[in-house]
Amino acid sequence: MTTLRLAWLFARRSTSARSTIVLPLVAFSVVTALLLIVAGGAQAFFSWTDELAGIYQVLAVIALSLLVVPLVGLGGSAARLSARRRDDRLASLRLLGATPGLVARLTVIESTGLALAGAISGVVVSLLVSPLVGLIPFRGHPLGTSILLNPGWIALTVAGVGVLAAISAAVGLRGVILSPLGVRTRQQAPRMHWLRLVITVGVFVAAVVAMSVVQAAPGIGILATILAVGFGGSIAVLNLIGPWLLRAIASRQARRARTVRRLLAARSILESPRAAWRQVSGVAMTSFVAVFAGVGVALLGAVGQSPDQQSRLVLADIGTGVLITVIASFVMVACSAGVNQAAGILDRRDVYVSLDRIGMPVSEMNAARSRAVLSPLRITSIGSALTAATVLFPLTGMSLLISPFTLVVVAGCLTAGMLLVWAALRATRPVLDRVLAEPSPSL
Amino acid sequence: MRLAADAIAQPLEQGGGMTSTPLTAPPGNAALTASRLTKSYGASVALAGVDFRVDPGESVAIMGASGSGKTTLLHCLAGIVAPDSGSVVLRSGQDALEVTSLDEAGRSRLRREAFGFVFQQGLLLPELTAVENVALPLMLTGTDRRPAEQTAAMWLAALGLTGFEERRIGQLSGGQAQRVAIARAQVTGAAVVFADEPTGALDSQTSTEVMDALIRSTTDRGRSLVVVTHDESVASRCSRVLRLADGRIVGDRVSDDRILDGTSR
Repeated sequence: MTTLRLAWLFARRSTSARSTIVLPLVAFSVVTALLLIVAGGAQAFFSWTDELAGIYQVLAVIALSLLVVPLVGLGGSAARLSARRRDDRLASLRLLGATPGLVARLTVIESTGLALAGAISGVVVSLLVSPLVGLIPFRGHPLGTSILLNPGWIALTVAGVGVLAAISAAVGLRGVILSPLGVRTRQQAPRMHWLRLVITVGVFVAAVVAMSVVQAAPGIGILATILAVGFGGSIAVLNLIGPWLLRAIASRQARRARTVRRLLAARSILESPRAAWRQVSGVAMTSFVAVFAGVGVALLGAVGQSPDQQSRLVLADIGTGVLITVIASFVMVACSAGVNQAAGILDRRDVYVSLDRIGMPVSEMNAARSRAVLSPLRITSIGSALTAATVLFPLTGMSLLISPFTLVVVAGCLTAGMLLVWAALRATRPVLDRVLAEPSPSL
Repeated sequence: MRLAADAIAQPLEQGGGMTSTPLTAPPGNAALTASRLTKSYGASVALAGVDFRVDPGESVAIMGASGSGKTTLLHCLAGIVAPDSGSVVLRSGQDALEVTSLDEAGRSRLRREAFGFVFQQGLLLPELTAVENVALPLMLTGTDRRPAEQTAAMWLAALGLTGFEERRIGQLSGGQAQRVAIARAQVTGAAVVFADEPTGALDSQTSTEVMDALIRSTTDRGRSLVVVTHDESVASRCSRVLRLADGRIVGDRVSDDRILDGTSR
């Protein structure tokens, strides 16, 4: 009861910087709207009962599961931002004798409240755009009103976003120390075991070999199965190798850095390669999916020499689904990057003020921040696309990999994604400006 | 850990980390003069016409109760905030630079090239190593990384931190981290070093060591030191103690030691 009353008091007397509230609100709003749209599409697919319905239903489940990873990451970032917003008050509460548990519960309640508020606005957004989404054609017809979820499902989605935010807030707080002297990030010495590399190489080689030996697959069914297994195995090891790879590349970049921005960016990735990976892993998976699906669609089209009307529609629909998932994934990564960066600025506000004091130009600080996100993003998106291409190469040869459809999907996906994330990073500049304009009294 | 005075002198002889990049302010020893400084925050008067001067090789402690205006004075002197009126001039020989006439970018460059800062918590970048932290201001002035880190390593050695170059800040004690901060403040050959409660987070023994390091590396080399502090023992290490109340100077005392040995102004 005390926790709830305190949470209510905190919420009423908020004087936080606008960006620190708006960013997670917008992020949760976008996430909910995307989830509802994808879930609406899934509902439409699950309403079908013919022999092709199964393919669409599996694809809908894959799309939803791809969106869950960035959603959980976003929840954790929002929680960290929430803790930072309340830095002074939480520290004062600890000084007054509040237990770490009470303070953590307060933060989780606040984050969840913010998530629910964002989710409700996301419902409004999804309803507003639903007429446009309804125009998207699947199986030759616009989805229409079949994507509209009933109120029960909408309520369940909003509640689900709230629960996910609460869980990831609680998990995210493990990386933060709520002490009477303030909120600060826990120092963790990141260590990556070389076994990750061995396992990855093993799975990767197995995937390539599997692709090589099924070149003479007797039918589309077997081919699709091999593709699915190769896809699943490769995407699983992406998460294993991602942080390790980012660490290895950032180490090299740190050694070779000639400018302050490059050095700071590389060191900040090295500070927590797992966090850097979490931030961009959604894009890695999506890039992988984009290449795999793009090539897969082209391949399936090529195998069926003269595909009938139905097959052509399925292939076109897979392309549409991939595109929607890619866009949704990038939007979420952009939101996550924005929220993470805002939290990072507040995490290190005193350090940023001290850098300003010693004469570091704000443009240099912003460049270092952007680089710390865009560099891993570039590495992971291109790296995962190349991984997918390599796995597929024995099966498809060069012709399909460089087919116009594949290239357009991959290039468009990477460019749009980079621009989105860059825009999200730019949106956090006012947070840094405010921190520098209003430093803490001790500075 | 005791510091060797001749070790401190080494970086100075090698240029104190100064680069060939043209400086906004004249390098080397310089006097900082403030005249009739005023600054208000809304209805609250932080400075009400303060006159101040610090000469080369001089150390000045600024003391006063919370809200007396001491941090605002330090910020105005260092070009961090612009006063409402009055002037701050950095003078070296015949060259003079009016700090208060510079725009934000100019003041930022001045802080980068002519001033050094030591904060209460050190405020070093935790993800960088000690030597990278110290080299940072030099790299910001355009010095290549390798020579910047060489100069930084010399400063760390001069401050008794040989062997700690590759350690991250979290792996250093409070006193060691504060000495890294002192090295960072000096690496560009700053004419004036500003320190805001530099020993506020340290125990008394470490505090003494850090003040030793700060004074030896500044005033012993003819540089100026301005320290904001609540601690009388820290203030007593400075050659002058300035007391502020309600934005005005209410006391300006040359330290007893300096009077006795005839070195007071």
